[in-house]
Amino acid sequence: MAQEINPQAIMEFLKPRMGMRLKTWMNICTHCGLCADTCHFYGPSGNDPKMVPAHKVRFLKDLLKKKGRVDRAYLEQVYDAIYHECNMCRRCSLYCPFGIDIASLISLLRSLLFFQGIAPEGLLKAIENYKVFGNQMAVTQEDWLDTLAWCEEETQAELVGLEIPVDKQGARMLYTVNAREPMFYPQDIMEVAKIFHVAGEDWTFCSESGWDDTNLAMFCGDVKTARSIVENTFKQADKLEVRHVGVTE
Amino acid sequence: MSFYTFVEGPLLWIAGLTFVIGTLIRIGLVLAVSFRTDKIMYEHFRWKPVLSTFFRWLLPLNKDVAKNPVFTLLVYVFHLCLIVVPVWYSTHIMLWEESRFGWYWTPIPDRWADWMTLIVIGIAVFFLLRRILSPSVRLISTFADYALIVVTALPFVTGYFLTHGTLQGVAFLGEHMQLLHMLSGELMLILIPFTKLSHFVLFFFSRAATAVEVGRRGYSI
Repeated sequence: MAQEINPQAIMEFLKPRMGMRLKTWMNICTHCGLCADTCHFYGPSGNDPKMVPAHKVRFLKDLLKKKGRVDRAYLEQVYDAIYHECNMCRRCSLYCPFGIDIASLISLLRSLLFFQGIAPEGLLKAIENYKVFGNQMAVTQEDWLDTLAWCEEETQAELVGLEIPVDKQGARMLYTVNAREPMFYPQDIMEVAKIFHVAGEDWTFCSESGWDDTNLAMFCGDVKTARSIVENTFKQADKLEVRHVGVTE
Repeated sequence: MSFYTFVEGPLLWIAGLTFVIGTLIRIGLVLAVSFRTDKIMYEHFRWKPVLSTFFRWLLPLNKDVAKNPVFTLLVYVFHLCLIVVPVWYSTHIMLWEESRFGWYWTPIPDRWADWMTLIVIGIAVFFLLRRILSPSVRLISTFADYALIVVTALPFVTGYFLTHGTLQGVAFLGEHMQLLHMLSGELMLILIPFTKLSHFVLFFFSRAATAVEVGRRGYSI
């Protein structure tokens, strides 16, 4: 993917996304260094100064200063920094005297890189799955419903009367799972069904896309796909008129 | 008009107005931009998480104090003395009273002002050394970070020298300490709207933005 870097495109991408919050956060950092020992990259790296959260957003400032006039090698450097120095956990924000949301700044850089075609391959593959199948693991609706059916069968043997509801209108909670559960860990689905049954919970799964609560698109800054993934769940929650959406983990 | 008269007259006006109007303009710009680009923040705005975060961070009632008690408390003491001395020192109040405004308010005892001034200077020196010697802080520091510590400390250093006659014997410095004190104060005032010294107002917008988002999920940040 040897596309030319278009500085104007980079600036046109960044500028409208640098609203008041992001701009203020970029400007107000007084370089106090209190974020340093709050970061789980900093400590285990042996207090490497390069792992200070305030340092990790350096490329955003630099890009704006250079007005997007960078080459692909530069963007590869940015990739290295924002994927291997930070996972956007926001712990630093809890300790920053100004409440600077460094994760949002990293996320913006990830979005920019995605816009320029740079993102981890594994995440890109997963995004294709979301677009075609509505879930990360390319599980078809048939397979999803099949899995739920035999999970119900298995657990009914243990707890008589147990049901795994699907598309139950007006249930209190729509429960969503990590797509890896139907694929690799169906016992998680069975276990949660047992808990809900014993607790007397009024819950349901949905048959259509929206049952996968992972969002790998968000991790690599593909905001559009990230939105549509969440929208699927919202649509189902709306359609089934539930009060809450439950998330696995 | 002598240079001295200029510094204690028109230049003081310029510095004061630059500080007040510059800060108001900066606030205005932040608000104006936010109405345009961060509408979502206003859609979800609630006073409770915002006031809660101001309260917890203006006072030492936050996670930083628990995690880094010594450094954080030094920061609070530094800022407290930084604000109290210029506003409540007797000679400054006297000057306000003698001015066209004729304002007066109760001063703190001069001894308190002396100690607080030394505290500001001492902690400023600590900040500067920390910034120079700590690899993590040094890496993220810019020239302005070092310079602004000096700019902030200068009015206090010159003020102390002035009131205690230190350096009186030293040629230029001894004769013009009052001038240097006024100039250093005016320098700081003029720089505030244009530098990170504005953090004293931007603090509120920065924290409010984060508090609104985190407060939506019921967490007090």
